[in-house]
Amino acid sequence: MSWWIRPLVRIIAALTLPLAVPAVITMALWALPGDPAEIICPPAICPGTEALAQRWGLDQGPVYYYFNWLSSAIQGDFGDSWRVMAGEPVTTLRWDSLPTTAALVLLALIPLILGGVTAAAGLLPRRLDPLWQGMGLVPSVILALGAAAYVQLTYGALSSDGWPAMVRLLLGAAVLGISDGALAGAVVGTRSVFEEEIRSRYVQIALLRGESPVANALPNVLPALIGQFRGRILHVLSGAVVVEVVLGIPGLGDLLWDGTLLQDFGVVLAAAWAFGLLSAVLLLFQATCEILLALYVRRSPVGVA
Amino acid sequence: MRGGIDMRNIWLSVGLFLLFVLLVASGMAPEFVSTPDLERRYLSPSQAPPFGNDDRGISILEYALQGAKIVTLPAILSGLLVSVLAIVSGLSRCAGSSFDTVIQAFGELVGSLPRMVVILVVALMLPPDWKRLLPIGLTWAVLAAPAAMDEAAATAGRLGGARFVEALRAHGFSAVRIYLYHVVWLNLRSVIVRQAAEVGMQVVFLEIALSYLAVSRNEPSFTHSDSSYSWATLLYQGYTAFLDVPLFHSLYLGLGLVGVVALMAQSIRIAARAR
Repeated sequence: MSWWIRPLVRIIAALTLPLAVPAVITMALWALPGDPAEIICPPAICPGTEALAQRWGLDQGPVYYYFNWLSSAIQGDFGDSWRVMAGEPVTTLRWDSLPTTAALVLLALIPLILGGVTAAAGLLPRRLDPLWQGMGLVPSVILALGAAAYVQLTYGALSSDGWPAMVRLLLGAAVLGISDGALAGAVVGTRSVFEEEIRSRYVQIALLRGESPVANALPNVLPALIGQFRGRILHVLSGAVVVEVVLGIPGLGDLLWDGTLLQDFGVVLAAAWAFGLLSAVLLLFQATCEILLALYVRRSPVGVA
Repeated sequence: MRGGIDMRNIWLSVGLFLLFVLLVASGMAPEFVSTPDLERRYLSPSQAPPFGNDDRGISILEYALQGAKIVTLPAILSGLLVSVLAIVSGLSRCAGSSFDTVIQAFGELVGSLPRMVVILVVALMLPPDWKRLLPIGLTWAVLAAPAAMDEAAATAGRLGGARFVEALRAHGFSAVRIYLYHVVWLNLRSVIVRQAAEVGMQVVFLEIALSYLAVSRNEPSFTHSDSSYSWATLLYQGYTAFLDVPLFHSLYLGLGLVGVVALMAQSIRIAARAR
């Protein structure tokens, strides 16, 4: 397979994703049995289904609904929440919760990056791998429960400002960084990619020439490492929903959960689209890195490519 | 090791035994839990064997059995779905078809969304009658499939892909034997079984997480009917033990069940490891 096919597929996927997320949801709304407005919010919960259908443009068919929603979303208008915080613009809710989730995800990535780098550098003993793997078997909800119990017993159930809020954030990040095999994957995954490459013949010859094995292997392992890193960010984003709700961290995941539980379709669709955009950015970043690295490897001294 | 004990057989026995226990438990699950009996609430396992009672005097064994019924079948079917998708990906790499690129594009699209976000959108849109773990578990399996498909394709690629098949054809083997026995059974089996076991375990943990979040907000769960109880109920009740409610036995049982599922998945994973 030519080197440019994978980045090209990623770029196409990245460009498709922001359009595909609302398209799939729209198709599902019309494909499922029943009235789309009643699927969005069952009459038992939301009285006035006709008004709801008019407000969302559901009464004019899937094509109108899709393009209407997409054009509004591009202008930053996601409508108002009708159940999570009735009347509040969804955009405001989203922007209010975004910094907390961003902080949580960035903090959660610290142990993963440290684990990966120290494993690749050979600073983390291999005999500790079963420890990370054992810790990784614990689901995030269980670790988050332990963390929530600690915060409640130490600071009280209603502690949500100041230092207790910071403790919730730090513990949440630690849970995300450890649970569901995140840290184990970072340590073992990074190490195995490096070790396999360093065993290659060209790296062994570079060693005999007195060159650094890392400098030789790095350009070739970076695409795989960047791919792994993107997977880890997605994993952490996914886990953020559970951790935020259990630990009472008011982030995007918490908002998404409330929207789902209360059948606030506007909030859920906006949050899903935000996650889709973020995923598209990550895909584009990976594709760009792959292209730049491929170009770098090809213009390097003869024989490297 | 010839003549010695093959540890993989022991792990396989452990995994299959635990799976059997789960199947039996789900078969024994009552449709409804017993009527509350407040005089028998908070009884410890020694006072109300085998696991004690909850804050309404209901035996927490009933919750454990109902929880097993909720998760067992969806987890098994989700694991099977991932296996099928991984096999398709591996075979496609061996066949050397352009379908391989289509599979890669599918993997990129499906694998690039945070899984929990998709699950919540699916949960929101499911009609009330469909709100069970099975559709959610199968969605999770599709979302988890790209990793399994990638690994299966890479394993098939390491075999030599289309050249491997061609070489076996030259030996006179039939296409069915080559693909199903040489490729799938002899070479892809460890990847497929491991991925299926992991996805099955993830579906169980997903159910616990979703039900716990719903219970903690006093809302009905997306994964089961209001009349049945998930293992998350045990954890939620057990959590109150930290607030001086005498329900530590509920917490221990909930954690024990999580441990059993993790051990089962690990046993099967180790048993399927390639020689």
